Amino acid sequence: MSNKLIIYLVLSSLLLIVLATVALFMGVYDFGGKSPLKVLVDIFSGNPEVSASEKFVIWDVRLARILMAILIGSILAVSGTAMQGMFKNPLATPDLIGITAGATLMAALTIVLGSFFRDYVPEIIQHSLLSIAAFIGALLTTLLVYKISTTQGKTNVVIMLLSGVALSALGFAVVGFLIYLSKDEQLRDLTFWNLGSLGGATWEKNGILLIVMLISYSVLIHKGKALNAMMLGEKDAEHLGIPVERIKKQIVVLVALMVGACVAFSGTIGFVGLIVPYILRLIFKSNYQIILPLSTVMGSILLLVADTVSRTIVAPSEIPIGVLTAFMGAPVFIAILIRFKNSM
Amino acid sequence: MIKGHQINYAHKKYHILHSVDISVQYGEFLAIVGPNGAGKSTLLSMLANELENKHPHSVLFKEKRFNQWNLKDLSKNKAKFSQHNTHDIPLMIKDVVMMGRYPYFNSTPNAVDEDAIENAMKETDVLHLKNREYNSLSGGEKQRVHLARVIAQLKNDVKHKLMFLDEPLNNLDVKHQYKALRLIKEFTANANTAIVVLHDLNLAAQFADNVLLMKNGKVAAHGNPHKVFNEKTISETYNFPCAICPNPITKNPMIIFGN
Repeated sequence: MSNKLIIYLVLSSLLLIVLATVALFMGVYDFGGKSPLKVLVDIFSGNPEVSASEKFVIWDVRLARILMAILIGSILAVSGTAMQGMFKNPLATPDLIGITAGATLMAALTIVLGSFFRDYVPEIIQHSLLSIAAFIGALLTTLLVYKISTTQGKTNVVIMLLSGVALSALGFAVVGFLIYLSKDEQLRDLTFWNLGSLGGATWEKNGILLIVMLISYSVLIHKGKALNAMMLGEKDAEHLGIPVERIKKQIVVLVALMVGACVAFSGTIGFVGLIVPYILRLIFKSNYQIILPLSTVMGSILLLVADTVSRTIVAPSEIPIGVLTAFMGAPVFIAILIRFKNSM
Repeated sequence: MIKGHQINYAHKKYHILHSVDISVQYGEFLAIVGPNGAGKSTLLSMLANELENKHPHSVLFKEKRFNQWNLKDLSKNKAKFSQHNTHDIPLMIKDVVMMGRYPYFNSTPNAVDEDAIENAMKETDVLHLKNREYNSLSGGEKQRVHLARVIAQLKNDVKHKLMFLDEPLNNLDVKHQYKALRLIKEFTANANTAIVVLHDLNLAAQFADNVLLMKNGKVAAHGNPHKVFNEKTISETYNFPCAICPNPITKNPMIIFGN
């Protein structure tokens, strides 16, 4: 790793820590003049003065949610960057090409069908089942979109985006139908899926997300060189000793895994995978050796800020986070379209 | 160095190559020439292992089939310059040239890699552009950047390297055409091999050790320039009249097309 990259990583991580601390202070609960940070330290040191409700608010509500925002933001940004590298196009993010929709569709099916045996299955397996279903949905849609839009290593961008539109429409229709069919409790779950929220954060889910993240990053983060070389064309990348086919398979499976886990736990939070690489590209061009590692932290920053805003500006209620990311993402989408108008 | 035996290639129903035999020696500069659609680029792609070959034993590189090679070793032994004009690569020139060094480092290039790209950029005259964005370059400048990348890729201690070049002179001005050919010639002078698809027969006659003339996916003539470039063969292959005389300076064949 170059020194420059290490400096950027350290600086952005520091910023993330500051933002996470700020986020810990945000909320309506009254700690009776105590600082939330003090409560957190007390929890760690086992101070008996901390009341159960204070502990719950800080540990199980705020901290779990902050961590989830960090994990999901990072995962979404990295999956966006990796997908863009594979498709060689800055618009190829999991949500725009329908992968998220595929994951949502399978997750929604699992919720509705799963209600029959929900009472008999422990919670951890329920969560895993949901993630696995979302993973399968994501994997199938990725393969489908790739098959439809790519011939001989060249991706037709228009076809890629349109197949995303088609798949999203299908997902939307199925989820709509399920909402129509479903009972009250499922209805709440399904609405939550469609709009995206980090409100359901638990330490269990964070644990699963962390594992998914570690597995995926251990393979993907070093692929900067390979993604750079693939800009030359896949044949030329192979002449540079890059095993293109193997790397593409790894990206497809791992992105599906990451998107699946995110969709299972937070619903469809769009555009993170579009915004983060776009901003990084403005500064570092398309050098994946830099933007791929940096999107890990930048994604966290973006989603943490968005989530903190979403739960503060209309407190004690909250705005669905997908609404906020869409507000940021749509202009970016348009900006990319204008920039690439001539080359598409 | 590299041998091809009975190479065939068909795309859908069209046969593009018909049982081509080819053998290239260490230190040889082979020019592949021929009219449009003769299968020159396809032959080069087959030799460079870019196309799916139904008979993988038909091409032997250093006595080994390509699937017996380790991909990374292979990239230190051979490189290919392809036709790149349409690519959109939002990177700086030095980053593009550095790709040639990817087989040599893990995440950070070391001093040897930096030197290699610096020299390669100097040789193809793009050093002054190294901090420019690739997409802002003209076609000829882009060609020179990729040439520098290929040269940087083969800068190593391996003996007997092979360079494939598919129309490297496209868009280059006269000075850089000669410069590029001299670089290739220097490369082959060190017992390395270059297989180059060329359009300009006179340049092929002047620089190549051997010429492979192709027509309709078959070898029309193969041998040294004096043997291949004769009036009958050339005018028949190109279906266009020509006259050939010795170049007054180099004494190589000089081809003049037209009546």
